[in-house]
Amino acid sequence: MTVATSDVVIETTARSRQLSIRQTIAMAKRSTVELARQPALIAPSMFFPIFFAVLSASSFSKTTAIPGFPKVESFMQFTLASTIVQGVLFGSVTGAAALATDIENGFFDRLLLAPTTRTGILLGRLAGSALFGLFQSAFFLAVLVPFDAPITAGIPGALVMVLSGGIVSLAIGAIMSSVAIRTGSAEAVQGAFPLLFVLLFFSSAFFPRETMSGAYKRIADINPISYLVEGLRALVLEGLTFSAVVRALLVPTVICLAAILFALKELNRKLAAL
Amino acid sequence: MSTQQNAASVAMPTTMRSARGLAHRGIRNIRRLPSAFFPAMAMPVFTMIAFAGTFAAITRLPGFPTDRSVNWFMPLGICFGAAFSGIGLGFSTIRDIETRFYDRLLMSPAPRRSLIIGPLLTAWVRVAILCAFVIPMGMLLGVRFTSGLLGLLTLVVAAIGVSTISLGWGLGLAYRFRDMRGAAVMQLTMFVVLYLSTAQMPLPLMSGWLHDVARINPATNILRLARQGLVRPDSPDYMSWSNTWGGLLAIAGMATLTLVFARRGLDKLDR
Amino acid sequence: MNTFASSSADPIIAQNLVRYFGDVKAVDGINITVKTGEIFGFLGPNGAGKSTAVRMLTTLLRPTSGTATVAGFDVAKHPDEVRRRIGVALQDAAIDPLMTGTELLRLQAVLYGIPQAQMKNRASELLERVGLTAAADRRVGTYSGGMRRRLDLALALIHQPTVLFLDEPTTGLDPMSRMSLWEEVRRLNNEGTTVMLTTQYLEEADQLADRIAIIDAGKIVREGKPQDLKAGVGFPTLLITVPSDQTERAKAVLATFGDMRPTAEGSLGVGLRGGANVVTDVVRKLDEASVRVQHLEVNEPSLDDVFAEATGHRLEGAKA
Repeated sequence: MTVATSDVVIETTARSRQLSIRQTIAMAKRSTVELARQPALIAPSMFFPIFFAVLSASSFSKTTAIPGFPKVESFMQFTLASTIVQGVLFGSVTGAAALATDIENGFFDRLLLAPTTRTGILLGRLAGSALFGLFQSAFFLAVLVPFDAPITAGIPGALVMVLSGGIVSLAIGAIMSSVAIRTGSAEAVQGAFPLLFVLLFFSSAFFPRETMSGAYKRIADINPISYLVEGLRALVLEGLTFSAVVRALLVPTVICLAAILFALKELNRKLAAL
Repeated sequence: MSTQQNAASVAMPTTMRSARGLAHRGIRNIRRLPSAFFPAMAMPVFTMIAFAGTFAAITRLPGFPTDRSVNWFMPLGICFGAAFSGIGLGFSTIRDIETRFYDRLLMSPAPRRSLIIGPLLTAWVRVAILCAFVIPMGMLLGVRFTSGLLGLLTLVVAAIGVSTISLGWGLGLAYRFRDMRGAAVMQLTMFVVLYLSTAQMPLPLMSGWLHDVARINPATNILRLARQGLVRPDSPDYMSWSNTWGGLLAIAGMATLTLVFARRGLDKLDR
Repeated sequence: MNTFASSSADPIIAQNLVRYFGDVKAVDGINITVKTGEIFGFLGPNGAGKSTAVRMLTTLLRPTSGTATVAGFDVAKHPDEVRRRIGVALQDAAIDPLMTGTELLRLQAVLYGIPQAQMKNRASELLERVGLTAAADRRVGTYSGGMRRRLDLALALIHQPTVLFLDEPTTGLDPMSRMSLWEEVRRLNNEGTTVMLTTQYLEEADQLADRIAIIDAGKIVREGKPQDLKAGVGFPTLLITVPSDQTERAKAVLATFGDMRPTAEGSLGVGLRGGANVVTDVVRKLDEASVRVQHLEVNEPSLDDVFAEATGHRLEGAKA
């Protein structure tokens, strides 16, 4: 896709805004189509979260009786929230790989040279991941809810969960973009991924914080992922409360905004150095 | 020097010498390409710490065979690491096939079985390094062997067994796929087989379909072998002859299957 | 059936060798006999089936049908005996970049059953021979293309093979490295090693080979000594370039002096029946026909002419 041509420079402001919107949409379309065309890349991020959910529902079915475990209908109901977050994390590995390829193909150089808004292009690039995150979240709920895992907050709760999944995906994409812009290295982007999984594990994603102890609990207590997952979980277990919605949406939104601001700052820093 | 026609005077290479030569290369490459070996070391440590921390409370379930969650999850981490040691050699075989270095090995008169035994020796060395690193680390984190050195021994034997099984599987798939698609299949299958066992929970505390699958999954026997020196002496899974031979039999059976699978793949490479 | 042929037998014999990949017939019934002490050139464009044929002869690939004996042994029935007697330098010099030259030679020595006591000497002799002594303990990843090929050759020689296969040994090398490799091949041959060389370079085949076979689309289309093959084409080739609107007139004139020959795009070629002496006549006739000659050259028959005559097209990139 070409963006920068010399006649763009003489466009009026209004037309250039129009152009930037067109670019953003084009980028969004490209990144979505790119994902949809590679089912082999997507399949693991659909299969594994379901596999783990079903596995742990069976493995840990008796653990719901442990003192401190929240009141649940089944372990599946408990694990619904973490499946979304974990699945979206899995899924955005694909997005990161695409991003890494982009870096190698000089996409970020083009981004640097683009005459119009960079925010739009960046968001457009991430839109594919965000849409995929929405799709995954909806898919996981559709598959797992029938297995004794009702959502107390009902349809509105489910919608909030799906939306949250999309924002989480966008946030991870933004974090990876800032790594990409900062380092310019595809390897660094790939290498940053295990760190996210470590972060996920050292949270209350898979087991309640109430049952943890020692250093592990202290880490989970300060890990933002804990609050994100617990917000989603509250929608499932308790219902549509203000606090649950805020946690489910606010945590990823804040991370997302911070990462995008950071990415843009890095971009400007690079631009200034040109 | 002259190249007089003396091929006949050169002895037929022996299996063990050729295998050792190949193993030597594999071991050297651990040092020269540590980034390829690092995941196999980091993964078991992560599994041990993360699982033991997250699921610490499961030891409070009545009937759980140990009150230390690290005792339960360290063997799992080591078995995962051992599986990846074997699979890692599957990866490097794929790389050798893709770069055609493997042609060089295939054109040599070295006995075909040495092409499997060489990587096998490498896998065992990797497992030894893995155990030497992860077990002391586990002990620092609170792992206690309940049956002394014998427990350590059965854990290492189980790890070597898992690496043998995964090596056969990894090579067999490498010979059939001959490109990196094979790598994904290796990882996925080993992963699923290990998880569909007592990886997370002891059999009596499981229910439903997983219980049925884990009961007949040979990986359950191997994990029992690995953990028998780490559970409470009053547990039925504690160190005993019957728990030992069950594991050894599972290893022997699965290793035979995967190694035959590898050998047949090797023999068909010229098709 | 006598598969253990006597040692006096020709070192490479292929009979009706066929190899399919799926429905594609990569090698289509080739017959080759290479005599002891020969350098045999296997010449053809990319994808002609050269490498497939060599992979069958070196036990890497099973023939779909037909038989081949190398160094007296059937490649399909006694591959290990064949492997002990042949050395192979591979097309892209596949060597593990993490290993050093010495380490690779030692591994090769082990795989070929060279006794421990001889290994060290053998490795250093070979490194010396190919001029890599100074680089012996450097990782192969740091070697240049020429150095890799030379190491590859050393590896192929570790067990003093009687038959040496060189698969495109100089593809991608600079002229200097190419010359030094040719030198080495000649030296080996003088010491008694039979060499089978595959190449897409006419000059390489012409310079090195005692006999050549030309392969195209899986079939051998010509075989013989280079000079005989060239003589078989007979007359020298006259190549001319004329303005495009005069091509037809020029063709009519040239046809009266001999058979038209395939040429590169934009020029015309004719095999001069009367030899180089008639060039002035040709020019005069062209002038009379109002054809303006822009360029003219007379070439003695080359392997490219042999190739062109046999296949109807020129060997890619081999234009003189």
